[in-house]
Amino acid sequence: MKLLAITSCPNGIAHTYMAAEKLAKAAEKMGHEMKVETQGSIGVENELTVEDIQTADGIIIAADKQVDKSRFYGKRVLEASVTDGIRKPEELIAKFERNEVPIYGKSEPDKLKTIEEVKEERTQKQNPIYRNLMNGVSYMIPFVVIGGLLIALSLAIGGEPTEKGLVIPKGSVWNHILNVGTASFTFMVPILAGFIAMSIADRPGLAPGMIGGYIAANGSFYGSEAGAGFIGGIIAGFLAGYIAKWIKSIRVPKVIQPIMPILVIPLCSSILVAAIFIFILGQPIAGMMEGLTSWLNSMQGASKIVLAIILGAMISFDMGGPVNKVAFLFGSAMIAEGNAHIMGAIAAAICIPPLGLGLATLLNKTKFTAEEREAGKAALAMGLVGITEGAIPFAARDPLRVIPSIMIGSMVGAVIAMLSGVTDHVPHGGPIVAVFQAVDNVPMFFVSIIIGMIVTALVVNVIKKPVESAE
Amino acid sequence: MNLTELVTTNLIQLQLEGKTKDEIMEEMAEMIDRSGALHDKEKYKQSLYKREMEGSTGIGFGIAIPHGKSDAVKKTCVAFGVKKSGVDWDSLDGEKAQLIFMIAVPEKHAGDEHLKILQLLSRKLMDDEFREHLLHATTKEEVMQLFDQV
Repeated sequence: MKLLAITSCPNGIAHTYMAAEKLAKAAEKMGHEMKVETQGSIGVENELTVEDIQTADGIIIAADKQVDKSRFYGKRVLEASVTDGIRKPEELIAKFERNEVPIYGKSEPDKLKTIEEVKEERTQKQNPIYRNLMNGVSYMIPFVVIGGLLIALSLAIGGEPTEKGLVIPKGSVWNHILNVGTASFTFMVPILAGFIAMSIADRPGLAPGMIGGYIAANGSFYGSEAGAGFIGGIIAGFLAGYIAKWIKSIRVPKVIQPIMPILVIPLCSSILVAAIFIFILGQPIAGMMEGLTSWLNSMQGASKIVLAIILGAMISFDMGGPVNKVAFLFGSAMIAEGNAHIMGAIAAAICIPPLGLGLATLLNKTKFTAEEREAGKAALAMGLVGITEGAIPFAARDPLRVIPSIMIGSMVGAVIAMLSGVTDHVPHGGPIVAVFQAVDNVPMFFVSIIIGMIVTALVVNVIKKPVESAE
Repeated sequence: MNLTELVTTNLIQLQLEGKTKDEIMEEMAEMIDRSGALHDKEKYKQSLYKREMEGSTGIGFGIAIPHGKSDAVKKTCVAFGVKKSGVDWDSLDGEKAQLIFMIAVPEKHAGDEHLKILQLLSRKLMDDEFREHLLHATTKEEVMQLFDQV
């Protein structure tokens, strides 16, 4: 047999180790494998690993002190005093030989916990909101990178500037690549929301989170022209997660228990999240877009600088979300009315968040995780072709510091572009529109982008905290 | 670091005079106090008795390890005493204790190193032969040699 033991005593000076020694010796004599974790004043030594526990035939807890048993759920656990461990280790082991030790947790369904969960819990002592967000972001990043790079590639090589923006002719291979990239982007917000919810409520949270995220990202569910973007996704994820967790905590009759995690919790949570988005949050989002649109229209006569500041801020605020869309659509509409200056400022603002953050990761490695530094390189590529979404991984991880930084950068870039008479005749942003010769005053277009990038990178690196070494 | 740094020859008494558990507790605590390891002997003794209340430290095999962790202790040390005729220590197996290890640990111990040594000693005491040798040691030097093995 393979046995494990934990020994512990009130002072943790002597008995703990005597019991450990005796148990190990007795097991050896009786021909069993034995590993003993000691919980003494020195701390925990020879700690049992998840693998140890999984492969063990039983666990002896010889302790006169409370020992956390949750990690042994479903295992044969024998509890004894530490002196039993010293005095009669053979007897304790013999109980396993005679198969007399009951399985721990069988009569306690409330303590349902897998070893992995317990292990996870231990590493999760930081701020739970931050941790949940982090979980969502790390699963989302590949989708942003894949989608962003494929869209960037297809636009850069296969795109043609038209009145409707950069268009890739149907039937060309680049069109297929664009579609694959778009597919990846479609998953971005649902994955973010789904894994935030899963981090809060475990597996039953995943489906409600993803569904909630999908609804958040698709304004058509609640009569809005644009979805709520990644900010909506974060809201959906937390909503779904806490709702699922709450339903989980409701006590139900034993008969229903088995179907709770696969049926009851996901179904009820999904319906609730969807209802909240469609009937409660949807209207304000659609209303806000309408309000912002008419407000921008009323601003047409205002000073160019004020307009550039507002547009720059809006473009960066939610990176492809509703606020960004309103500004972008306003710029597109102005092109049609013969005013390409507005779009010129927007085109600069669009690419500054990903480019600026990409630059920031290169300038100061201590402020970004390894994952973010990789995302930074992809963000640079996305920025070149005007995909603001490249900044989302950074913004979702640390919104309160990153969003203001990119807003300042985009505002600066938009103002410079506006003042120097940069225009853009194609509803699209980033250096790529200059390559397609849709821009007037190209040198200043690049100057405005570069200054915006530098401002963003400097601001974000000043206000961001260094990444904890634990990550 | 070695056990012999925690047990010095003046902390060894091969013929304890005390006839009861209380007398021996006093005798050995006095020995530790004389070595200058304590701030306050009475307070240290209180910690010893407090530990005994939680369960006798007479763990059987003729061994008792009264131990106290207290801020009345200046530095970690171990006193070793032998009572050939044995003394009743309320041991779990009813046997009398012959080898007494009295351990003093400061509340805020200086480092894990000391605890590590006590851990090694505890483990070593589970070795029948080691105990036998200790019981039959006739000089402090012999005892020190045995401790050197820990």
